[in-house]
Amino acid sequence: MTAPIAANIRSLTLALAIAFLVTSIGVSYWTILASDQLANDPFNPRLIAASNDRPRGAILDRNGAPLATSEKGASGFVRSYKDQSLAQVVGYASLQFGLSGVEAAYAESLIGQDPADPISIWRARYLGERQAAGSVVLGIDEKIQKAAVEALGGRRGAIVALDPRSGAMLASVSVPSFDPNEVVDPRRQQAAMDKLNNAPEHPLLNRAAQGQYPPGSTFKVVTASAALESGFDPTKKLRVDDPYQADRSWGDYFVRSASHAHGLFDMSDGFRLSENIYFAQVGLQIGGGKLAEYAKRFGIGTAPKLDLPAAKGQLSGSGLLDRPTLVADTSYGQGELLVSPLQMALIYATIANGGVMPTPHYATGVRDAEGHVVRQVAPGAQGQVISANTAKTLTTMLVGAVAGPGAFAFGAKVPGVDVAGKTGTAETRPGEAPHGWFVGFAPAEAPTVVVAVIVENAPEGGVTAAPLGAQVMRAALGK
Amino acid sequence: MNKSQGAAPPASPPRWGLGGIAPRSRFTELSLLVWVGALAVLGFVAVVGAETSSFGSASILVPAIFIVLVLSLHVFLIARRFRGDQVLMPIAAGLTAIGLVLVQRLASDLLLQQLSWTIIAGGAFAATILIPRDLTALARFKWTWAFLGVLLLVAPLFPIIGREINGARIWVKVGPGSIEPWEAVKLLLVIFFAAYLEEYREVLSRSQRRIGPFPIPPIPYLVPIVAMWGIAMLVMIFEKDIGATALFFEAFYAVLGLALLLVGGFVAYQLFGHVQARVDTWLRPFDEDLRFGSGYQLVQGLYALANGGLFGAGLGNGMPDRIPVVWSDFVFDAFAEETGFAGALALLTLYLLFLYRGMVIALRAPTTFLQLLAAGLSFIIALQTLVIVGGNARLIPLTGITLPFVAYGGSSLVTNWMLVALLLRVSEVSNRMRGGP
Repeated sequence: MTAPIAANIRSLTLALAIAFLVTSIGVSYWTILASDQLANDPFNPRLIAASNDRPRGAILDRNGAPLATSEKGASGFVRSYKDQSLAQVVGYASLQFGLSGVEAAYAESLIGQDPADPISIWRARYLGERQAAGSVVLGIDEKIQKAAVEALGGRRGAIVALDPRSGAMLASVSVPSFDPNEVVDPRRQQAAMDKLNNAPEHPLLNRAAQGQYPPGSTFKVVTASAALESGFDPTKKLRVDDPYQADRSWGDYFVRSASHAHGLFDMSDGFRLSENIYFAQVGLQIGGGKLAEYAKRFGIGTAPKLDLPAAKGQLSGSGLLDRPTLVADTSYGQGELLVSPLQMALIYATIANGGVMPTPHYATGVRDAEGHVVRQVAPGAQGQVISANTAKTLTTMLVGAVAGPGAFAFGAKVPGVDVAGKTGTAETRPGEAPHGWFVGFAPAEAPTVVVAVIVENAPEGGVTAAPLGAQVMRAALGK
Repeated sequence: MNKSQGAAPPASPPRWGLGGIAPRSRFTELSLLVWVGALAVLGFVAVVGAETSSFGSASILVPAIFIVLVLSLHVFLIARRFRGDQVLMPIAAGLTAIGLVLVQRLASDLLLQQLSWTIIAGGAFAATILIPRDLTALARFKWTWAFLGVLLLVAPLFPIIGREINGARIWVKVGPGSIEPWEAVKLLLVIFFAAYLEEYREVLSRSQRRIGPFPIPPIPYLVPIVAMWGIAMLVMIFEKDIGATALFFEAFYAVLGLALLLVGGFVAYQLFGHVQARVDTWLRPFDEDLRFGSGYQLVQGLYALANGGLFGAGLGNGMPDRIPVVWSDFVFDAFAEETGFAGALALLTLYLLFLYRGMVIALRAPTTFLQLLAAGLSFIIALQTLVIVGGNARLIPLTGITLPFVAYGGSSLVTNWMLVALLLRVSEVSNRMRGGP
C-alpha cells in the first residue's frame, strides 16, 4: 500500500512543480514581455503620476485659448481646468478616478505619444525618452460656447452647435455641470466625486451627446424626408380635424393638434404650424416600414461616431414600428422615440449639408510641443442620407417654419439672415412639464452652423427654446 | 492490509533531501535563520529609508522583535531536543519576514497588528509542537474534525456572528475583530481526508466499475466526499468566496475533486451572477466598461507587474498602493513591482522549496495517515500559492485566497504556522522511527 501512495505523492509534486513553472512564465509575460506596452498605457496611474514632474499636454479651443493646462505647483504639476461649462467634454485626469472626456479619448496624445507619431512612441518605449507633451485642439469656439452658456442660463438641458460642413463641434453645453478642479484635487476629490455620483441630476453626464430625450416636433423632418423620397406630394392638402384617429379600432386613443386645428394643410403649413395630425396622416400613408428605414438612415438607434461617448437613442422599445398608433405618434416625434441633442443636430446638419451627414468630432487636431501639427482630426462625411433635392425642399419649408406667417419658431429669427429650423415640445412623463426643443441652421442658403437646444421641463416648450437657438446662431454668425 | 504493514518504511530510502539525520544542535536551521534575519533587517531599512529618507526606530525595532521571535522558536526546538526538519521553519520565517516588510510598505498602520499576529502565530507553532503528544491520535477523531470543519465553514452564514467584508461572507465576529474560519477549516479537512482515505483508500481504489478509463469507487464510500462537495457548492453560493471553495474541496482528493469542482463550477457559472462576473472580469479586464469597474483591481495589479520589469523599481519606489486592498489580495504584484521578475521568481522558488521539503517529509513518513497528512498540508500551501499568484497574474480568474505567510491577515498566518509545526512533527516521527541520534 505504501508504494502506490509514494508514487501518487511524486506525481502530485511533479504536477505542482509544473504548475509553478507555468505560473513563473505567466509572471514573466507581465513583468517583461508586456511591460513596455502596459507601462505606457495612458490609463496607467504611473503615467498620470509622472505628470507630477512632467506637464501633461494642454487642451485648447480653436483659437488657442487654454481649456486644460498643467501648472507647476508646490508638489509638482497640477492639472487646471478653465471652463466649467465644458467639464463633461474636456473631462478630468485623476490619479484616483482615471480619465474621462477628451482627457481619456486623446490620452496618448496628451502624454506625447500620439498614434500618428510612432517614432515618439518607440523612443518612449524602448529608449525611455519622452517627448514633451503636445496639445489637443478642439473645435470649440470660446465666443459661441459663451453665448450658449448664457442662453441656457443655468436651466437644466443642453446646447450643441456644430459646423455642418466639417462636423466640428463649435459649442457643447450640458447643465448642470461640475468643477473638474475639485476632482483632481487630492484633498477634495473623494468628497467631490461622491457628491457627483449621488447627484440626482447626473452632472457627470454629457447631456449634449449622451442625454436621451423624446424629440417632439423637431423629428418631423425625418417623417417629411421619408415621405418626399417615397413620392409623396408635399403640396397635396390633407384634412386636419382635431382630435384625430385613423379608425374606430384606436378606441379612445387620439392624436391631438397643438392649435386645435380644423382645416386643410399642406407640408409647409404642417411645418409652420407644427401640425401633429398632418404628420400623423403622412406617416400612416407611407407606412411604419418606410419611417423606420429613414429614422435608421438618420442614425436613430446607432451611436454617432463621435470621439467621445455618445448615446444611440431608440426608434421604439422593440426597434420596430408595428402598430398604427405607434406609427402615428412616431411621425410627429413622440411614441417611444429617444434621441440625443447631438443626433438631432446631425439630422439637421444633413439637411443643411445637401443631404450628406457629417461625422461629428470635438477635437480638430493634435500638435506637438513646438506647435507643429501632428495629426488633423477630420473624419470624412458619413454618406448621402437623403437626396440634395429633398434637402433643398426641406430647407425651404424650415425657413417658413421660422419666418412664415404665424410660424411657431418665430423666436429663432436672426436679423439679416434666413434661419431654417423647427421647435419641438416633447411630452415627458404625465404630470411633468414638457421638454422644449429648437433645432435649426443658418444662413439657410449656405449654412455654417447647426444648433440644437433642449431645455428640460420648460412649460412653454419650443417657445422657450427657439430664442436660445437664435442667440447661439447670432454669436456664430457674428451678428 | 492492517496498520502495522502500512507503517512499514518506504521500500527505498529517499534519494533526495537535505540532511537526512537531524543533529541536536539544529545547525542548518540556525544558519538559514541568519539569512532570514538579514532579509528582515534589509527589507525594513530599504522600505523605511525610501519612504522617509531617515531611519526611525520602527525600522530597527520591528525586525529586531521578529528576529528574537524566530530565534526563541529555534531555541525552543533545541530545548525540546526536537529532531524534525530544519529547512521548513526558516522558509516559513523568511516568507513571514517578507510579509512584514510588505505590510510596512503597503499599509504601515496595520504593521502593529500583523506583528502581534506573528507573535501569536509563533505561539501557535510552539503549542502544536507540544500537543498533541501522539500525532496518529488525530486520525481517531476524524469525524470530529469533519464536523468541526463544516460547522466553522457555515458559521459565517449565520446572522449575528457572520460578517460580510468586501462582498464575501467568510468572516466570523470575535470580540472587536473578525476571523476567517476557513483558514482553520483547511487544516481540519486535511486531517480528516488523510484519516478517511487511510481507512477506505483500498476500497475506494479497488473498483470494479469504470466509466471510460476512470474507475468508479463503491457508492457508500463516496458519500462523505460527495457530501463535502455539496457543502462546498452551497458555501460557494452563500458565502461568495469561490477561492475558499476551490481549496475546500481540493484539499486532498485532488483528481476527483477537480472533476466535480469543474462540473460544479460550470453549473455555478450558469446560475450565479457573481461567478460570471468574476470570469468576465478575468477575460476582459481592460475593456472600457470594466477597467474602472470590476476590472480595476486586476488592471492596477497588472500595471504594477509591468512596472516591475526584470529587477523591479526597488523597495519603496513603485506605486503598488494604487491597487485597492493590495496588502491582502495583491501582495504578490506589489512585491513583483518593487523587486521585479527576479524577486517574484525568488518568492515562487521559496514556495517550491516548501512544497519539496513537505513532500519529502511525506515520502519518508512511516504510516499512510502521516504520509497523506504531510502531502495534504504541503499540497494546500502550494495550491493556495498557485491560485492567488495565478489570479494576480491573470492566468486564472481572481479569487479571495491569500498568499500564505506573506499576505496581511492574522487567521491565515496562525494556521499556516500550525501547519508548519504539523509537518515538522511528521518529520520528527520518521526520524525517531529511523532511530537517528
